[in-house]
Amino acid sequence: MGFSVVTHPRHSDDSAQGPAFRELVEPEIEVLLRVALTITNGAADAEDLVQETLLRAYRAIDRFDGRHPRAWLLTILRNTNANMHRRQRPGVIGDWELIRTARPAFGRPELPSAEDSFVHEELHADLDAAVRALDPRFRAALILVDVHDLSYSEAAAVMGVPVGTLMSRLSRARDRVRKALRSSPLTRGDLS
Amino acid sequence: MTGTLQQMLTCLWSARRIQRYLDADPAARLTPGEISRLEGHLATCEKCTRVAAEHRALHRALSLWSGGTGVDPRSVDRVRDFLAAIHDKDTA
Repeated sequence: MGFSVVTHPRHSDDSAQGPAFRELVEPEIEVLLRVALTITNGAADAEDLVQETLLRAYRAIDRFDGRHPRAWLLTILRNTNANMHRRQRPGVIGDWELIRTARPAFGRPELPSAEDSFVHEELHADLDAAVRALDPRFRAALILVDVHDLSYSEAAAVMGVPVGTLMSRLSRARDRVRKALRSSPLTRGDLS
Repeated sequence: MTGTLQQMLTCLWSARRIQRYLDADPAARLTPGEISRLEGHLATCEKCTRVAAEHRALHRALSLWSGGTGVDPRSVDRVRDFLAAIHDKDTA
């Protein structure tokens, strides 16, 4: 797995840029892997995608203004994925199936709270069906913001759309899921 | 009649802002005036308060899947090593 490290010739001050680049990127590795997992076919592909993304980011560091590194990296991740997997998974972002089957909350080291267990047992099927029924574009916005906890700007970067478009899709997705769950514990006040 | 219409308009105005209010995202913050008006409305409108509670609960429920894309710590380590290798290769 992984790519061999072949970098392009760079400027004479690379030795100073290297550590700065690492400081910029290291805190974002986990979120990059998390998002990559939702837009690729598995852990190995996700890791390859993130490594290729970092390589491209390193080559492009001269053009980065230093603001919003996560959004910058997510944009590169998206573009890199488009190049790497265009024929395999066109336009699919935020694969609900990958997230749903992973059952994360209960794989965490700490024990789930009673509320978490309740959500898992009682709400899971309804929520799953409601999210699955969404248009893929709306589902992607919902997953990136509410599941992955990305900001509007970061999610927009991953989807390659303006922030306003992301907000519109997110709003519609949430409203549709919320209305679909009208008779569930979610809207009976049990969880609020 | 006028009061009912006013209430409907305020509910409509609030519905368009509840998600931004709850998210408090830097890209789309409400103004202090909007926040004040919305909080005032939520304090008196049962329907909009319920909508806000549903949004909070939905976010909570969805966030339970957040670790679901469980990132393997070994994967993080390998990417971190790769990052170090980029730098080492360039400075060698």
